[in-house]
Amino acid sequence: MSFSLAHALTGLFWLGALLLLGGLARRASLWQQGRSASVSWLGLLAMPKRYFVDIHHVVAREPAVARAHVAAAGGGVAILLLSALNYGLMLYQGWLDVLLVLMAAVMLLGARMMQARRLQAPPRLSQGRWQVLPARLRLFALGSLLAAGLLFAGPQLGMAGQLIAVVALLMLALGGAELALGIGLGWPMKHAVAGLLHLAFHPRAERFAGKSSDLKPLNLAAGELGVAKVEDFAWNRLLSFDACVQCGKCEAACPAYAAGQPLNPKKLIQDMVAAQSRGSDPAYAGNPHPGREAAVVVKPGEDIVGSVLAAETLWSCTTCRACVENCPMLIEHVDTVVNLRRHLTLSRGEVPGKGSEALANLRNTDTVGGYPLAVRYHWAIDLDLPVLQPGEQTEWLLLAGEGAFDMRYQRALRALVKVLKAAGVKVAVLGEAERDCGDVARRLGDEAGFQRLAKANIATLAQYRFAHIVTPDPHVFHCLANEYPALGGQFDVWHHSKLLEHLLARRAIPLKADATPLPPLTFHDPCYLGRYNDGFNAPRNVLKGIGIKVVDMQRSGRDARCCGWGGGAAFTDIPGQRRIPDMRMDDIRETGTGRVAVACPNCTAMLEGVVGERADVIELAELVAERLA
Amino acid sequence: MKIAVLVSPAVHPVSGRPCAGEADLAALALAQRLPGELQVWYAGAADDAALADYLARGADNIHSLSLSPDSDVLAALGSALQGVDMVLCGARSGGGDGSGLLPYQLAEQLGAALLPDVLDLSKSDRQWQAVQALPKGVRRTLKAGLPLVASVNPRAATAPGWSYARLQQGKIKRKAATGAALAPVVLEPARRARALVAASKVSGHARMQGAIAGGDAKQAGVVVKQGDSVEKAQVVLDYLRQHQLVDF
Ligand code: SF4
Ligand code: SF4
Repeated sequence: MSFSLAHALTGLFWLGALLLLGGLARRASLWQQGRSASVSWLGLLAMPKRYFVDIHHVVAREPAVARAHVAAAGGGVAILLLSALNYGLMLYQGWLDVLLVLMAAVMLLGARMMQARRLQAPPRLSQGRWQVLPARLRLFALGSLLAAGLLFAGPQLGMAGQLIAVVALLMLALGGAELALGIGLGWPMKHAVAGLLHLAFHPRAERFAGKSSDLKPLNLAAGELGVAKVEDFAWNRLLSFDACVQCGKCEAACPAYAAGQPLNPKKLIQDMVAAQSRGSDPAYAGNPHPGREAAVVVKPGEDIVGSVLAAETLWSCTTCRACVENCPMLIEHVDTVVNLRRHLTLSRGEVPGKGSEALANLRNTDTVGGYPLAVRYHWAIDLDLPVLQPGEQTEWLLLAGEGAFDMRYQRALRALVKVLKAAGVKVAVLGEAERDCGDVARRLGDEAGFQRLAKANIATLAQYRFAHIVTPDPHVFHCLANEYPALGGQFDVWHHSKLLEHLLARRAIPLKADATPLPPLTFHDPCYLGRYNDGFNAPRNVLKGIGIKVVDMQRSGRDARCCGWGGGAAFTDIPGQRRIPDMRMDDIRETGTGRVAVACPNCTAMLEGVVGERADVIELAELVAERLA
Repeated sequence: MKIAVLVSPAVHPVSGRPCAGEADLAALALAQRLPGELQVWYAGAADDAALADYLARGADNIHSLSLSPDSDVLAALGSALQGVDMVLCGARSGGGDGSGLLPYQLAEQLGAALLPDVLDLSKSDRQWQAVQALPKGVRRTLKAGLPLVASVNPRAATAPGWSYARLQQGKIKRKAATGAALAPVVLEPARRARALVAASKVSGHARMQGAIAGGDAKQAGVVVKQGDSVEKAQVVLDYLRQHQLVDF
């Protein structure tokens, strides 16, 4: 009997392997709809490290789920490998059966833990086939356990043994189908195959070597104008969508979703899956974009926006990267949002709300608000701040950014200049020669406008000699530090929080000696400083350095909630149930400090724009200036 | 039907850079709604970059008559537009020395009817019907047969959004042209506006008192202090009815 069971297992193994390969080929043909992309096959070698290290960083934030996954997936992979050896290659070794039984037990445990979690599934998890997956995996694990156990026990079980063998085979077939057919039919276990390939051929492979949050330039001369149809995505981008496990961590982190704007990042990714699979996959069973139907109609050959996706969904995104930060499958939502926006802006010229006005202002005046460049440094008229002339040199070049036109933020800028002067820092500005950095243009999809501004700025900056650039605007900072290099601009750029931290550490800023202790406050992490550039510590160290205790909000640091400005969202202003800054103000209120420190002109404007009772909004530099001796 | 739209660069009020003029854009957008073969024309000395906004906002190509900066565009346009059934242009230029006279002069030269400051154009029977914008929101219907020249109000229609792809695809076709000499521009100082004189020297507070604090019957004002809000509203309504200020 053991002989025939072993052969049945061999047959089942190879049948499963064939089905899996067939399904993979089918899915690969869907990915092939996309454009070619330059990927390195070495990614396949790097896969284990990316799986065990990079993914682990994200998954470990939820330890219980991580343990369940390690047990289920680890057990499952071990079962497959052992089966391949023992039955696939027909070794039929007893000791391998023992190992199999052990691994099956581990997997059973993992699947059990997952099932338990599914009983009280948080609303962010998708239902449908995902809900029944743990049960199927349990079947598979139990089937393996029984089969291997039987084989190890030998032929002496008789009738009962035969019966159990049949049951075990049935279980294996049912459970194994999830994996064997999953990739081809778009069932949940698709994620295992697509996820591993995604790790190998990640569209942003450099993120495994360090931080990578810059948007990639379009080759406008070659006619690249963003993504209109599925075919315009790179093939490995299509692959990345298939890696999604519909865990909804992105949904739970998304400020636009929480505000009831019509954007659910999980659904966005699934919309892309629906578009590329032409609706052949099982229907989506998770939360929709707020206020919209979950069902999508895919019309082959049509543009994605307008058929699968509404434009408002894209324009709701603040590009805060909370979704990317939380995605265990390392999917890059922001790239996709911006790629799709680029088509709307560059080809269709459809930018809602004040977005098109902002872009027109940038074209006509090189400022977002349509201001004359000559007035950018009017707030510094009495501060004796040198305006650099071409050929002149300074150690620090201050770029004030668009905040210089805002009367509220001018106070912060004046405070910053005061502190820098007190610390003896040699600083100068560009005056009229400073243009907008292009952040808003780029996030609103106007890549042509961004490249024009960036190139003009790079050419301007080349005329001056300076060692470092400092800016209080995280958007300027991010653009210059991370996005200008691709266009040929290499600068040593500092956010003012880092410079202040540096100066405080060197005791270069003369502080009041007998300072009375200040009441604690909370700190709002700007997305473009924090998640985009890991600048979590510098502002906190500055506050510590001037003797202020920071009471962090529940959502702070890596998990901070966006203020609602980023990505041009303050301009497109897609309506929702609530406003994002109001929600952030609630977070601030929860700390009970009544004061919030900010380190970005846009966060300042958004949080000060909250109506009714609200916490005081104070810029980092203002707090330091208050402590000056 | 052949339709020609005339466009010219405006001067951006903040930066002084050339950009599209609002009224010309509205003319372009209005023309795109009409059936017929559309041509976009420019005459003058502006370079291609100054016309870029029109390409990006919906003009497939622009015929540009290159003239020296000191020449009058009227003759060159007039001869280029022979045989065109309908000419649309902005009611006023977006800057420079434009006088707003061009549509009138052009209509005269082409022997066409002129519809000034139109908000909308539609066909009725064999004629074209225009909605004309007059001050204070007043509208008037004008009718004319072809050929006609219409100057378009900036609020007539909205051109498509600015698109980089359209800018890349659009073409500017240059033709050399000769223009007549421009009559010298004569600048004169603006006449000083007459100061407003108040009709009565009594203070605002006193006049308000006079209107409400009626002791004798001659004064119209009544202060209603009694009654609930419905009764008070009734008093107001009665007053309005009595003076025929409402008719319900
Ligand atoms: S995109 Fe990532 S975070 Fe969002 S549901 Fe999919 S796997 Fe989870
Ligand atoms: S970047 Fe932020 S706003 Fe945009 S989808 Fe992700 S979480 Fe939502």
